[in-house]
Amino acid sequence: MSALNIRDSSTFPSRRVEAWKYSDLRRWLREAPEVSSAVAVSGDGPWAGLGGDQLAFGNGAAAGADAFVGSGEQVLRLRFVSETSGTGHTAAARISARPGARLLLLESHEGAGSGYVAHNRLEIDVAPGAEVTRLVLVEEPEDAISVTEAEVRLGEGARYAQTIAATGAKLQRLETRIVHPGQGADVRMDGVYALSGARHVDLTSVVDHQGPDGRTSQLAKGVVRDTARGVFQGKIVVQRGADGTDARMGHHALILGERAEIDAKPELIIYADDVQCAHGNTVGNLDESALFYMQQRGLPADEARALLTQAFLFEVIDRIDHEGARERVREWLGDRL
Amino acid sequence: MAAVKETIDAVAALEKYAHGFTSDIETEFAPRGLNADIVRFISEKKGEPQWMLEWRLAAYERWLAMEEPTWAAVKYEPVDYQELFYYAAPKQKEGPKSLDEVDPELLAVYEKLGIPLKEQEVLAGVQGAPRVAVDAVFDSVSVVTTFKKELEKAGVIFMPISEALREHPELVRQYLGSVVPVSDNYFAALNSAVFSDGSFVYIPPGVRCPMELSTYFRINASQTGQFERTLIIADKGSYVSYLEGCTAPMRDENQLHAAVVEIVALDDAEVKYSTVQNWYPGDPATGKGGIYNFVTKRADCRGDRSKVSWTQVETGSAVTWKYPSCLLKGEESSGEFYSIAITNGRQQADTGTKMVHLGKNSKSRIIAKAVSAGKSDSTYRGLVSVHPKATGVRNFTQCDSLLIGKECGSHTIPYIEARNGSAHLEHEATTTRLSDDQLFYAQQRGLNEEEAVALLVNGFVRDVMQTLPMEFAVEAQKLVAISLEGSVG
Amino acid sequence: MLKINNLHVSVGDKPILKGLTLDVPAGEVHAVMGPNGAGKSTLGYALTGRPGYEATQGEAAWNGADLLALDPAERAAKGVFLSFQYPIEIPGVPALTFVRTALNAQKRARGEEEVSAPAFLKLVRAASQKLRMDFDMLKRPLNVGFSGGEKKRMEILQMALLEPSLLILDETDSGLDIDALRIVADGVNALRSPERAMVVITHYQRLLDYIRPDRVHVLAGGRIVASGGPELAHELEAEGYDKYLPQAA
Repeated sequence: MSALNIRDSSTFPSRRVEAWKYSDLRRWLREAPEVSSAVAVSGDGPWAGLGGDQLAFGNGAAAGADAFVGSGEQVLRLRFVSETSGTGHTAAARISARPGARLLLLESHEGAGSGYVAHNRLEIDVAPGAEVTRLVLVEEPEDAISVTEAEVRLGEGARYAQTIAATGAKLQRLETRIVHPGQGADVRMDGVYALSGARHVDLTSVVDHQGPDGRTSQLAKGVVRDTARGVFQGKIVVQRGADGTDARMGHHALILGERAEIDAKPELIIYADDVQCAHGNTVGNLDESALFYMQQRGLPADEARALLTQAFLFEVIDRIDHEGARERVREWLGDRL
Repeated sequence: MAAVKETIDAVAALEKYAHGFTSDIETEFAPRGLNADIVRFISEKKGEPQWMLEWRLAAYERWLAMEEPTWAAVKYEPVDYQELFYYAAPKQKEGPKSLDEVDPELLAVYEKLGIPLKEQEVLAGVQGAPRVAVDAVFDSVSVVTTFKKELEKAGVIFMPISEALREHPELVRQYLGSVVPVSDNYFAALNSAVFSDGSFVYIPPGVRCPMELSTYFRINASQTGQFERTLIIADKGSYVSYLEGCTAPMRDENQLHAAVVEIVALDDAEVKYSTVQNWYPGDPATGKGGIYNFVTKRADCRGDRSKVSWTQVETGSAVTWKYPSCLLKGEESSGEFYSIAITNGRQQADTGTKMVHLGKNSKSRIIAKAVSAGKSDSTYRGLVSVHPKATGVRNFTQCDSLLIGKECGSHTIPYIEARNGSAHLEHEATTTRLSDDQLFYAQQRGLNEEEAVALLVNGFVRDVMQTLPMEFAVEAQKLVAISLEGSVG
Repeated sequence: MLKINNLHVSVGDKPILKGLTLDVPAGEVHAVMGPNGAGKSTLGYALTGRPGYEATQGEAAWNGADLLALDPAERAAKGVFLSFQYPIEIPGVPALTFVRTALNAQKRARGEEEVSAPAFLKLVRAASQKLRMDFDMLKRPLNVGFSGGEKKRMEILQMALLEPSLLILDETDSGLDIDALRIVADGVNALRSPERAMVVITHYQRLLDYIRPDRVHVLAGGRIVASGGPELAHELEAEGYDKYLPQAA
């Protein structure tokens, strides 16, 4: 599915490749890294306590099965664990949800060690009428490079909801490509990032509406501090004949460091006329009048800023339906602000 | 409601492409194709100084080493650069001293286009009629410039750039290529090598140009590329409003138009640049013919508190590739881009702007309205970038697209790059279809379908229309109606 | 006692207050009236430290504390409360969370014990009932989607809970219908006490029928140009501000 192969340096895109314009992989990775050796995966990861089955990869190697088929109501913890220094690995997982299934996919990227290169590939098939909620927590060392590519295929009337929460790395890219059949299928695709230091995150997505009456709602928010860099590339395509499509995309970022950077490219590519599509993008800092108002009521400036920042990001988290998982993401993110 | 009435009248008097006539005018050509000798030929024809020839030859060398860009969302038959004529001029013994010496056929062309070239007629016109100084560029050369004397009194220089090269070489040399370097892009390099005319404007410090300045471009000759070059310098505290209009005859072949416009705004200067582009769009059914409009327009707001405002109404051309931009270098400098892009038939347009914020507290505003009909494709492509040292930057961008019919495409591709923590950037975009309810409502009140479409579309683009100078707005509204003919039913 | 002496305040480069002097003793309610653009709101912002409102000269002290030397939160902890003419919307922060966080921040700053969640809820229930506010509204993000009247009530609710000692009301009556105005005024009057001072900034006399001032001052051209008893407000209502406006130069 992807041309990227970390064993072959000729496949490393540079910023001259339009889709990698803001994430110059070649700049950070010139040669193919040595191959990581497998590592055992212990514990339950950041989703511990929410139950379900587990599919785990230690330095790319599957600890057991590398595929999962969901039916009925199920929870699956999907863990990509990297624990190595200076080496690279690729993990590949396949997830599918049978017709009528409701799968809560709790994914985590857990990094330890330093300077590794992780490439994760994920295929998700959602059968007609099935529902998958994919929640992703990504925490990796500041000098790691990781690229996660998810290819999602939806059946008619399928529902797919995704929320990614990431804190960045040297280069961290989370790419999602969704083939949207329309026909009442419904996509929510959200993301949130909080970056400090020199971390970099890249949330890239393509939702390709191929049939009529599809819905997509996308909301991404982020804060960047210090010299961190947040990248958002969202593309919504409405193919000829995909009438009745309703697609909305929003990306909003706060730059809280003088030298921090935001790059955004929200795209609408539309070939049908009976559509309602919109995107919005804002980049700015905290609302000065809100800050003053809060201080006037007695909140010290730092506390007021923290409260506003958290409220800004939590708007994304609040869109998660599953209560237990939502609370876990709130806690996880709150601890990292 | 006069404007609406105008629109309706315009629709009622529809022609396929009103400016699609050709004129039988004796024309002098340079030999077909492009090489260093052609560049020398053009330079010699113009009686240019040696440095200018060298500048052109250097640009030609750069062009040879460059590749035609392919990133825009447009598809077209490749241009055979060796098949084109790079110089075509209406034959004349000497430059005309007055209008009386201009070929009457040529004057008839401009009369047909409704462009006022005869000062006395303008002056004798309806009281309060706008006075516009016009530079008319026909194929490769400027044929006439009006109101020169009156402008001279104010210290304003407005003349063909070929003449400016002879009369004000120091000014031209100082600024030419300083905003769009010869190596900027493929088409700019080509233009730098072969441009044969265009307009030159200089507004001295503190002067408010006493009238609108206007250039009308017309491509007439067959198989001819048009490469005009415009250079506008607004010195400290000056103001000028500049209008540009374009037409071309209907031809089965594709014709290349690769212009460069450079604007320099010094401290407290303001330039308003308005374009109504109505080049021949090609045959709406087959897509045959039409102009390739590959244009580089850029303003350098190098002065503090300088301001440049681009307004464009793009209804013509088979393929448009155009991004009028502002380099906002001065503190508190400001850039605006107001655009209406209407595509119908088989037209393709990839247009937008770049606002590059380099100066502190610089601000920009982008309002882009795209209307796609028929089998056309329209793309807004824009960049807003904020450099690390530019504090206090503000931008607001609004892109709205309207789709008419099931076979057109409309795309929005903004790039937003913020490298300073105090930036405040806002971007909104919507894509919708023409509302059936509104259409029915208007029809119920007695408008036919085409009138209703014209009315609604003019409403959709109103925000931008209002930024046009009055005399252009009327023409632009008519154009909107005409270019959407055949888009419904 | 609020003591303002020869206060000059600029917004950007533009001087707005030009030597304003005003004393408001504890226990009293003073109205500051004036034409549009006289600098009424600027006075409120300058006393509370809004960024961009720079005091270039003069003093302002509340109970001996030099207000101009403090940041906005420190002033709030000293008991200074500004009821905003246009209360700010704070998306994502529920009103309840906001007020409790503010109350505890103030208490911390004063070295007092923080209020527990159950105790706070009890306080809020009582206060919101008095102002006839729907308790569920307090679970929504502060002021987001509130009507003009709801926002003003929310200001008075915060005032009741934070128990400030210097109350500055900026055009509190704007946007209120007569019933809402009465409720809001009752809320304000309930806070009148010998320890508290109130500055009521208003363009119209109407509010002063409900919140009766001890003194009335006219603010014009950045200064207090006239002072008097409550009758001055009626005089202004009848005659307008014309005679206080600077002669057209």
